[in-house]
Amino acid sequence: MPKVTLHKRGEIVSDEVAEDSNLVVRAGIRRFPYPHLTYGCGMGKCGKCACRVIRGADQLPAPNWKETKRLGDRIDAGFRLVCQLWITHDIELLQDDALNAAASRES
Amino acid sequence: MPDMMDQATFRSALEIAIKGNSANKSPFSIAWAEGKLSRTHLARWAENHYHYVGPFAEYLAYVYARLPAHFTEAKDFMLSNMYEEEIGGDRHTDLLIRFAEACGTTGARVKDPDNMSPTTRGLQSWCYAVAMREDPIVAIAGLVVGLESQVPSIYRRQTPTLREKYKFTDEEVEFFDLHIVSDEIHGERGYQIVLAHADTPALQQRCLKICEIGAQMRLLYTTALYHDYVENDLPLRDLDLAA
Repeated sequence: MPKVTLHKRGEIVSDEVAEDSNLVVRAGIRRFPYPHLTYGCGMGKCGKCACRVIRGADQLPAPNWKETKRLGDRIDAGFRLVCQLWITHDIELLQDDALNAAASRES
Repeated sequence: MPDMMDQATFRSALEIAIKGNSANKSPFSIAWAEGKLSRTHLARWAENHYHYVGPFAEYLAYVYARLPAHFTEAKDFMLSNMYEEEIGGDRHTDLLIRFAEACGTTGARVKDPDNMSPTTRGLQSWCYAVAMREDPIVAIAGLVVGLESQVPSIYRRQTPTLREKYKFTDEEVEFFDLHIVSDEIHGERGYQIVLAHADTPALQQRCLKICEIGAQMRLLYTTALYHDYVENDLPLRDLDLAA
């Protein structure tokens, strides 16, 4: 099973998830990474679930059109919309809510 | 009266009640998954589907209002479900209209209630009746577990076909993509609420029955779409479904 590690507010939380899990779906049904992962619309629009991928980015599919539209240049810095990802391998993520809010205000 | 079931047994019984009448079995869904529908057929689907899912937040609002105040978590879930349907991101019905327009119909035709079939009107009326009249936990079982929780499995089958066989763009099929995530959450949270609050054998049995009826209603609706709009162009024998 893929191991997911999330860095959030200086804390590191980690757990295994079933193959092909969507982390926003899991948080929505109150399972890890709940309550740590912040998310919003679940449809790639609000950007609240954006995370920087620290490890495991090379095994993710290319960003889809929603991620490209929402994240823009942040994709080059390693950001992805977690609501658009189905996890099949170990991954390490960093989420910064203040940074996401600032990016949302700018867009 | 059957005994009180533990949560695992009850959940399994709910899943069986739904699966026996899954809308995936209808000729319309089979034709869709096989890429045999025309854009005109899909336009008729969108014109009907709008009147079933369009008022979903209204159905939930009736249930929300009737849930006892101390069922805080269940009430909060209903509220966030309504919010996500309408204003959490793009309004879900706006995305349905976007798909409908890609099929060749118009937003005005989609919104016009005269364009829904009598069966669709029946499904919509059933949803309102359940929301207004049933015990709120039974209503959640019918509307969220029985109907909404089926959506991800239906759209997981249908969405790749829309891209690969019908050649719709990613943007045109966003309505389907988003429900694979949102209704996975809604359906599962619905299960959690029903499992926690159906706390008598009688209530469990009513939840099971309404899940079965909800799934039957969706199957009836989808089957009627086939008979009303598709059958003349695509007979059952072309779907290997003739008796």
